[in-house]
Amino acid sequence: MTVRLDGVGLTHPGGFQALHDIDLSINQGERVAIIGPSGAGKTSLLRLLGTGLAPSTGQLHLLGVDPATLKGQALRRLRARIGLIHQSPPLPPRQRVVTAVLAGRLGQWSLLRSLISLCYPLDSAGARAALEPLDLQDKLFARCDQLSGGQLQRVGIARVLYQRADLLLADEPVSAMDPVLADHTLNVLGKVAAERQISLVASLHAVDLALRHFPRIIGLRAGRVLFDLPAERVSQAELDQLYSNDSFNEPVFADPVSAIAAASLEAPRRCT
Amino acid sequence: MKRQFEALIWVALLLAAVVASFSWLKLDFVALFAGDGLQQMHSYAASFFPPDTSTNWLRQIFHGSLETLAISAIGTLLAALAGAALSLLAAGRLGTVAKLLARLLLNALRSIPELVWAALMVLAAGLGPFAGTLALALHTAGVLGRLFAEALENAPPGPTRALREAGAGPVAAFCYGTLPGVLAQWLSYTLYRWENNIRMAAVLGFVGAGGLGQMLYVTLSLFQQPRAASVILAMLVMVLLVDALSAWLRRRWG
Repeated sequence: MTVRLDGVGLTHPGGFQALHDIDLSINQGERVAIIGPSGAGKTSLLRLLGTGLAPSTGQLHLLGVDPATLKGQALRRLRARIGLIHQSPPLPPRQRVVTAVLAGRLGQWSLLRSLISLCYPLDSAGARAALEPLDLQDKLFARCDQLSGGQLQRVGIARVLYQRADLLLADEPVSAMDPVLADHTLNVLGKVAAERQISLVASLHAVDLALRHFPRIIGLRAGRVLFDLPAERVSQAELDQLYSNDSFNEPVFADPVSAIAAASLEAPRRCT
Repeated sequence: MKRQFEALIWVALLLAAVVASFSWLKLDFVALFAGDGLQQMHSYAASFFPPDTSTNWLRQIFHGSLETLAISAIGTLLAALAGAALSLLAAGRLGTVAKLLARLLLNALRSIPELVWAALMVLAAGLGPFAGTLALALHTAGVLGRLFAEALENAPPGPTRALREAGAGPVAAFCYGTLPGVLAQWLSYTLYRWENNIRMAAVLGFVGAGGLGQMLYVTLSLFQQPRAASVILAMLVMVLLVDALSAWLRRRWG
């Protein structure tokens, strides 16, 4: 069992409860997509799996251990085995792509090696190999602030591929890419997970991509698991229920002119 | 009507304060320009020309310039290193107690001017360039530490946090996640302070801290105006050169 959650709830410091009583288990080598409306708790769930957040209630097991019981070196060793791809890649704008990718293995390298590699990249061949399947190898020595949003997202993915984690997590990994590139990138992630027999958990906005690339789909709504089904059994009714939004059930204006007129009626201006 | 009256009272009070200050400080501008005052000014200014350009004196000036340059460069370098170390504490990276103590220390270093530090260091380390270097390093460490800490506080926490969550140690995560964002800013601040310090290093000589300033002080005291004139010219040239060099470096790396 790669991931197991027993009655996990998460309350943010502000008091907002992002996740309620989630039971979930993901086996070694399974590929799972998490879908759901904005604010459903997808990112919170992934940050929980990436040990960035700790559950407020319930029990979490990652790669066979409970991260809450770990400290110091042991926690770092677990974290080095978990790779989280962020939606907006947290890369310093002035850093070169090669350094940003090599930073994926900081959890495995000694401090001395990390610092030497910061001045002179020790494994640019490895970084190039991580960028190659994403078709970005010619940007190896470019600076991160010279890249587009989609390219930056792929650099973030290359870093996690270079990390060679045992659990792959991805938070909206293709949100800044065009449909063809998004398709290709999810293929690469799926292939890596299949080759190395590791689990892949990704949150996605595009339902069609999720259904096409992931055998198992989890629908998350308002911090609860609405459904957890094989992709071929996810029906339109379930998707409608997942994405239905009560606050949009008001009359929708057909033409923009009347919408603007209505808006100015609703928001009376005060002259002082 | 009442407001106008109030304003009138304030203006009268200000005028009274200005007049009182003049008479208390015995500032007599009339005497400055009356009689042969202008004549004397003119003859003193004229005594600076032509500047002394004898080879021997130029050689001494060259040495003095090198000394001033070295004082300012080493002083700024030491300040940048100390400032970087203190800024980590002052930005709260190592706890709240360390943060408060470091801020207190930075404020103390910064609020004592270079000239006062120089006077103190001359007492501690004796006359000469060492005292000047220490004085510059101490004051500038306070300035740079504060600026560096602000840059650190404004740096986005995301990159470092992401690396920590991928198992990186705190030092490595800082070097890969935060340092690339702040380093250019730190460098630019340091170069700017170096420009200031080279001007300051020229002045510090007046309290005996070596370099061109000391030569200027000695020549002026001995009424050797032509020699003083060439020292002043040398200062001017050096400041212009360093300003240009530093501006070029900042454009390149900033």
